[in-house]
Formats: sequence, structure tokens, C-alpha cells
Amino acid sequence: MRSLDESKEILYVIRTLDVLMGSGVGLEAAIHSIAQGGYGVISKDFSDLMVNINKGRQMEKELRSLLKKAETDGYKRVINTMLNNVTQNTDIIETLRKQGERMEETRTENVKEYIEELGGVPETLLSIGMIGPIILAILGIAPQLMEGAEELFGEMNQSAIMRIVNVGLILTLVGMALIGMKAHTKDPGL
Amino acid sequence: MFRNEPFLLFLITISIACAVGGIPPIIERQRRRSIENDLPAMLEALSDSLGAGLGLQQAMMAEAERNSGTLGKLLRETLLESHASTFDSALASFASKSRSPQVQRVMHLVSTAIEQDAPLQDILANMSRDYERLNDLMNRRESDLMGRAILIIMFVSIGLPFLIAFIVGLFAPRSQGFQLEEFNSSFTLFFGAASLVAIGVSGRMLGRLRSYFWWAPLWMAVSMSIYHVGVLVIGG
Repeated sequence: MRSLDESKEILYVIRTLDVLMGSGVGLEAAIHSIAQGGYGVISKDFSDLMVNINKGRQMEKELRSLLKKAETDGYKRVINTMLNNVTQNTDIIETLRKQGERMEETRTENVKEYIEELGGVPETLLSIGMIGPIILAILGIAPQLMEGAEELFGEMNQSAIMRIVNVGLILTLVGMALIGMKAHTKDPGL
Repeated sequence: MFRNEPFLLFLITISIACAVGGIPPIIERQRRRSIENDLPAMLEALSDSLGAGLGLQQAMMAEAERNSGTLGKLLRETLLESHASTFDSALASFASKSRSPQVQRVMHLVSTAIEQDAPLQDILANMSRDYERLNDLMNRRESDLMGRAILIIMFVSIGLPFLIAFIVGLFAPRSQGFQLEEFNSSFTLFFGAASLVAIGVSGRMLGRLRSYFWWAPLWMAVSMSIYHVGVLVIGG
């Protein structure tokens, strides 16, 4: 969930930092502005960072610990840029603009990929969701359909068959849910 | 017909209540998306007006008169209210009234830019491009995946129970003495759970799982009822 939230918010954070720092606001004040809220998990991270800085800790150390906490590449890159600005006084605005452009391209590609990848989900889901129950339904009624044909197929116990059917139905549901998980795990975070 | 199915009866009752609860999120979403789709054009127009020498408030007034959609209406109301308060608080009120994270972010950035005396024309033009691209992506996701989401729900909640009810009713009709109480009960529950999975997957595909779950009891009840009634009708 954290990585999804990070990838959803990071582009807006970059744009805000760009506007703020482009108009002369310092890095700490820009972080403070984002920490006020509106950017999900990143606001929370920046708010914690500000609390620690106000306690007297160094910005560099705080950014390094935030770097360890970050999960997505984009967020890590932004924190790294901030860190470079603090330690080496680099041109943060230009770097953020470039990162923003690159991230936007990546996001567009991710959405296209997501749509393409989910193209096969309905078919796979329906294959498992339909074939499984059809086979299990036939299996479930087989003991009564085959009554009197024990010599051919052997004796079939209705309750034992029902146990197999129930397990099969549960497995079908689990399979359907696992296929559907793709829709969640691959979400580009718009 | 449903006398021996207390869970199904309970689900039908719950589903009616939940379906009523599911309508407001749909209306709210339509309103929000209409505002968000109008946002890039508004930002572009504001940027152009600032470039022509107007102030932000004047540019917003001109845009409010021009825009006939929900965004324009909201802007007109906000500007009327701003006569009695500051322009900054009018912007904040506009953002909260829109109930859209996109508008809230834009307004937050605009008020920060005003505070910091930043080049507003460029910022508005950049934001217009950003949000246009974002909305294009959101609309594309919606249009491309909506059909697939509906397909999943229809097949799992309607097609599948009907098909199995048909097979069971045809090959093992109750009228011929087949004892299938346990079997039917297992399959009825399975179709309810499968519909829940289908709703979950479809909702997640479109990025609105929570609002889709309002409709889950209804689809579960529909699916379970189709199987239950189908077996009785076809099997006699």
C-alpha cells in the first residue's frame, strides 16, 4: 500500500517543490509546506522529518533515514536529489524538473502496460471460474447419476464426493482471487 | 421458493439497502470527474488571461462567466462569496467545495505561488498540461477497462449460475428424486463468493473498489437467486 501511495503522490510533490523552490523558497520551508498535508504518505514522512529537525537533528541524517524508508524508485530519487542539494549545494530545481518529466513518461507507459496486462484477466478469470464449477458440478451429481453402475465405475460415496467438490470450489475461488490480484499489484497509481 | 434459504433472504434485504447507499458515490464521482475534466481548460484560460495582463481574480471572473459546466457554476458561487471574504479564503472554499483532490492540489499550489510571488502564468500553463495528461490517462483507463469489468461481473454473477443451474436441473432434476440439498447449498454459497470476487476484481481494475463494494450484496443475491430459482424451475 505504501509504494502505491508513494507512486501516486510523488509527481505532485515534485511539481509543488518546483513551484516553491523556483519562486525562492528554501528546501526546509518547501518540505514544511508539503508536510502540512494533501500528499498522503509523503506528507506524513515530511511531517515526521520536520518534527525531528525541530528537535535538533540534522537534515542530512533525517533525509538518509527517509531514503531507507522509501519504497519506490521515484521517491528515492527525489530524496536523493534533496540530499545532494543539502550536502553539495546542487541545482535542485533543474534536477526535479527533469525527474518530473521522466516520471510522467514512466507513468504514461505504466498505465498503457496496465491496460494491456489486464486485457487477459477477464478471459483467465472466466476460464477458471467457469471450467472449475462445471467439472465440479458434474462430479457432484455423478454418484446419483451413476447409481446402479457400480460394477463399471466402482462405488461412489456421495458425502466423500461432496467433500472433494467443496474443496474444489474453495480452490476455484482462491484461483479467481489470485488472478484478480493482478489488478491490484500492477496498479499504476493514478 | 426462498423459505428454506434464510441467508439468501437476509442478503436480498441487505442488498436493497446497500444498492441505495451505492447511488450517491456514483453521482458524486460523475460530478467530480466533470469538474476534473474541465480543470485543464480552466487553467489554460487563466494562464492566457494573466498573460494578457488581467489579475487572477479578474481572470477567474471571466472564466466563471465563460464556463457553463459544474466547474463554472462552482467558480461563480465562490467568487460571489469572495465579496464577503478574502480572495485566499475564497480559493480555499472553492477547493473544499469541489471535493476533488486535483482541484484542491491546484488551489493549494496557486495560493502558495501567490504567497511566494511566483510566476503564476507559467505555473498555471504547466499545471494545465500536467492535469490534461493525467485526465487523459484516467479517461483512457476508464474507457478501456469498463467493458472488461462489466464482462467479468455479468459472466460470473449471471452466466455462470445460470449455466450450472441448467446442467444440474437438466441432468439431476429434483422431480425425479435426486437428493441435492448439500450440493445446491455449496454451489449457492460458491456463486455468492464468486460474485464478491468478481466485484472486487472489477472495482480494483477501475480504481474504485470501495464504491463497487456497495453493489456486492446485490450481485451476490442476484447470482445466488439465479442458481436457486434456476435449479427449481428447470429441475421441477
